[in-house]
Amino acid sequence: MIQVQNLRKSFGRRTVVRDLTFAAPNGAITGLLGSNGAGKTTTLRMITGVLQPEAGTVRIDEAGGDASALDRQRRLGALLDHQGIYTRLTVRENLAYFGRLRGMPPEVLGASVERVVRTLGLEPIADRRTAGFSQGERMKTALGRALLHAPQNLLLDEPTNGLDVLTVRSLREILRRLRDAGVSVVFSSHVLEEVRALCDRLVVISAGSLVAEGSPTEICARAGTACLEDAFVKLTTAETAAC
Amino acid sequence: MLNASMVVAQKEAVDGLRDVRSVISSLLYALMGPLVVGLVSLSKAGSDGKVIGAMMSIFTLVAAFVGGMNVAMDAVAGERERHSLLPLLLNPVRRLDIVMGKWLGVALFAVAGFLVNLVGSAMVLRMPPLVWLPAALGLLPLPLFAAALQLLISTVCRNVKEAQTYLSLIVFLPMGIGMFLVFFPAANRAWCSYLPVVGQQLQLQALMSGGRVPLLGTVALGCLTAGLALLILVATANRLQRDEIVYGN
Repeated sequence: MIQVQNLRKSFGRRTVVRDLTFAAPNGAITGLLGSNGAGKTTTLRMITGVLQPEAGTVRIDEAGGDASALDRQRRLGALLDHQGIYTRLTVRENLAYFGRLRGMPPEVLGASVERVVRTLGLEPIADRRTAGFSQGERMKTALGRALLHAPQNLLLDEPTNGLDVLTVRSLREILRRLRDAGVSVVFSSHVLEEVRALCDRLVVISAGSLVAEGSPTEICARAGTACLEDAFVKLTTAETAAC
Repeated sequence: MLNASMVVAQKEAVDGLRDVRSVISSLLYALMGPLVVGLVSLSKAGSDGKVIGAMMSIFTLVAAFVGGMNVAMDAVAGERERHSLLPLLLNPVRRLDIVMGKWLGVALFAVAGFLVNLVGSAMVLRMPPLVWLPAALGLLPLPLFAAALQLLISTVCRNVKEAQTYLSLIVFLPMGIGMFLVFFPAANRAWCSYLPVVGQQLQLQALMSGGRVPLLGTVALGCLTAGLALLILVATANRLQRDEIVYGN
């Protein structure tokens, strides 16, 4: 479970996240929805501890809001917008490197690498160096890296960007399986179709502030619209006008 | 966590060794000095041994900076460019441990380039191992310092091209210092022996011209150089904490 409270971040004079509060429960896919530049990526980076918030707290599972960034990182798996992998290493070597960095003992690491390779269907390319991989192959390798230590919380920042339909469907399937296993999945996107197809709960942000939170049906009801797209436009436009 | 540093160092070493073009170019540079000077000294009977030794010392000094240069530019600037730095920073590992690991990886190549050049020079000059071996040990902080400095510069750069520009310029530092001291020996003062890079150039010059290298001076200079390298590594780790490291591509 991820709980974010009054999170705030500025770059210079520009405030990109303003007192943001939301929760992502276990066993649910929470969609972080917002237009380009709304503050989704910055929020996810603060949750993972690579950016320090100016104010506010991030609580993950039973760890307190004062837990260090390293403590939070132990409880998280993340696939942020940067899907870089090491091109001179094979898929297995890429995965093993990150497992060793997390201090996984060799016997556990070997089994985890095989589990991830099997789950993501990476067997045919597992011993190939990753140079020249397709976008989908790179994404799966990067996702494998995030899932290797079987985290209870998973953050994904626009993971379907540039992927073909088949890979997107296979990713959705994997995320649903993780959700059913009780993992808290936070999924950021600005593609409404994707959010509707996947998310149980939505956190809509605009200009760094929370504008709505709840199930897609609740969001539509709050905005007084029949479809999610209209609700999103109505909520975010109203917030931007208020700013 | 020493273990995490070793994991990073091992990955950098494997990654660096698989970059065959970079390994060959570093090796060629390391061997170039002894080969060129060897050919010149063979072809010109009665060549001035002092001048040849001094020239070789410059090659050796520069070799300490060239050996790990490609690995250093790939280690952070390359990771930023390939978008693999952020995933690395998502792991529960302190930034200083990451920097130490990367430094060890770069230092491995820097030390190798330096030693290949030094041993090659010793062979050309027919220097007995009992002379060059202790000197080589005393000079080891130089490639360690070079690796730290190059890693800091790589951390400031956003991509390999930018890093290549600055790191190529940095190679002129030992080259310029070496040439200055060879052609203007009068500029040498006693305190110069305790300045990192300058002191090592003076030691190399003495070694390759058949002179003596004082033990106490070598130890003091080695400690100063290693201390400076450590400070640079701390500065690099601090640099990795900054917001623009995960933005700005």
